[in-house]
Amino acid sequence: MTTTSTVKNGAGGATARRAFLSRWFDPDDTTLAVLLFLPAAILLGVMIVYPVSRLIYTSFLDLSLTSGLPARFAGLANFRQMPDDPVFWQATWNTVLITLITVPGSLVVGFALALLANLPFQMKWPVRLSLLIPWALPLSFAGLIFGWFFHSEYGVVNDVLNRIGLPTVIWFNSPRLAFAAICLAIIWKASSFMAMIILAGLQTIPRSLYEAADVDGAGRVRQFFEITLPLLKPTIVVALIFRTITALQTFDIPYMMTGGGPGTETATLAMYIHQNTVSFLDLGYGSALAVVMFGLSMLVTALYLRMIRSSGAAS
Amino acid sequence: MSTAVASTLNSVLSGKPLRAIAALVLVVNGLFPALWILLTSFKTEAELTQKPITWLPHAATLRNYIQAFSDQPLLTFLFNSFMVALLSTALTLLVSVLAAYALARLNLRFRGLIMSVIIAISTFPLVTLLVPLFETMRALNLLNSWTALILPYTVLSLPVCTLVLTSFFEGIPRDLENAAMIDGCTRFGALFRVVVPLSAPGVFTAGILAFVNAWDEFLLALSFNSNPGLRTLPVGIQLYQGEFAFPWPVISAALVVGIVPIAILIVIFQERVVSGLTAGGIKG
Repeated sequence: MTTTSTVKNGAGGATARRAFLSRWFDPDDTTLAVLLFLPAAILLGVMIVYPVSRLIYTSFLDLSLTSGLPARFAGLANFRQMPDDPVFWQATWNTVLITLITVPGSLVVGFALALLANLPFQMKWPVRLSLLIPWALPLSFAGLIFGWFFHSEYGVVNDVLNRIGLPTVIWFNSPRLAFAAICLAIIWKASSFMAMIILAGLQTIPRSLYEAADVDGAGRVRQFFEITLPLLKPTIVVALIFRTITALQTFDIPYMMTGGGPGTETATLAMYIHQNTVSFLDLGYGSALAVVMFGLSMLVTALYLRMIRSSGAAS
Repeated sequence: MSTAVASTLNSVLSGKPLRAIAALVLVVNGLFPALWILLTSFKTEAELTQKPITWLPHAATLRNYIQAFSDQPLLTFLFNSFMVALLSTALTLLVSVLAAYALARLNLRFRGLIMSVIIAISTFPLVTLLVPLFETMRALNLLNSWTALILPYTVLSLPVCTLVLTSFFEGIPRDLENAAMIDGCTRFGALFRVVVPLSAPGVFTAGILAFVNAWDEFLLALSFNSNPGLRTLPVGIQLYQGEFAFPWPVISAALVVGIVPIAILIVIFQERVVSGLTAGGIKG
């Protein structure tokens, strides 16, 4: 691409300046690529690469700001501490459980919402809005709102239960019930994003396929299992992996709804990392926990990349 | 038996009343929480503690809104959230436009690898960076500033914006750029005078995604800016909660104030948000 050096005859100073610029600044593709990626690379370097290496380094230190002692190399001590830490196991188990419950949960609810939203409505905007608002509502707001929905005395959930003749439930005193309430809130929040992606997938399926199936006498249910589901499979797989990665990072909703309580029964790994570093100021142990979570997340990401590669979307 | 079930389902699914029910289910599911908060924001504290609870406020009052603004510096929270989101959106767009142009137009040898790196970054668990980013910000003397949030938020939105913009740029014919360069534009000139204006819908889409990301973020905002004058809305909302009291009507009013701007943005740009979400969601 050297067309930049073409200059019209008899043009004024501006063109001359441009000609000068392009003569002196006519980078080949490699130079140009480096220049174009430079701002992104600097940002990523300062905001991710350096912090990650720092994180790994800190995870080997005995660095607790409450002890007042200077940082000391501790080898694998922080990692050895984890197997004997019941809260670590609890938080990890909760994170895994949240992932196992809310990922399929939000897929099923999201799929149902997408199928409903795909009906031929005359007005499309109320439907679209009802899917977009939950997506755009900050997670922390959603946590706060759902915390109040499940309030034992003034919550709307108990009000509905009472109205249909069921007893009042004190949600946040029981670990199991608090956990269930958190999962419901996460499923509500995440299902609209799922629905949006599945809806977009639904709309790419050619109508002619369904028309042909109609001619062949296949009902809606068979059409769903033999046309819709197989064609949506790649979309669903990618959405599922993406949701899994976000579920592993769950923080805002349980933080706002229960603060991890009762006790540490509903704490997630992300919350435990936050607690160790921000409240206990034990940066060494907090960093080691973060390294474990980082590894877990990278594992899922590797799987994600493989799937995208094999489906050819990244090329 | 199963054919009977299937045929019943088929007849129900093709009926017209279904559409009305479907619309109702969708709207109630999507909007009930926001609607409930809106209703609560008009109730008095006394009405809130009545049993059984009331759904519609008996005597609607605006007092909660006045209190929301006077109890805490709500206007400051709003301003901080807005400025942090706006500035990080601007920075994200600038950086991702450049990267996306390289990905869309240059024949790069490592294009596949770069794409993989971008997707990997989009899955990054932010909480793992809490400590090292905190130390980085302290070293750069940026704690308690908008910049302490703007920079990480930019990185947070960079992957999805780059992916959305790349696919938009790929749709712009190269001939238009070549024509501009024959007329004397440099490559950067052609990018900003031809490619970016023609991709305006894509730039909007990416911009909204970046804005919503920054507007919603809670964890870093909670940890990096402890100065009351620099708190963002999600962090500031927590302050209404007293040690024993939980003034729900006032908190609801503050939440409504926080939801309205983003709701307006979404109503105006709904089509673009949908296309951006799906493009970004499916690819990254």
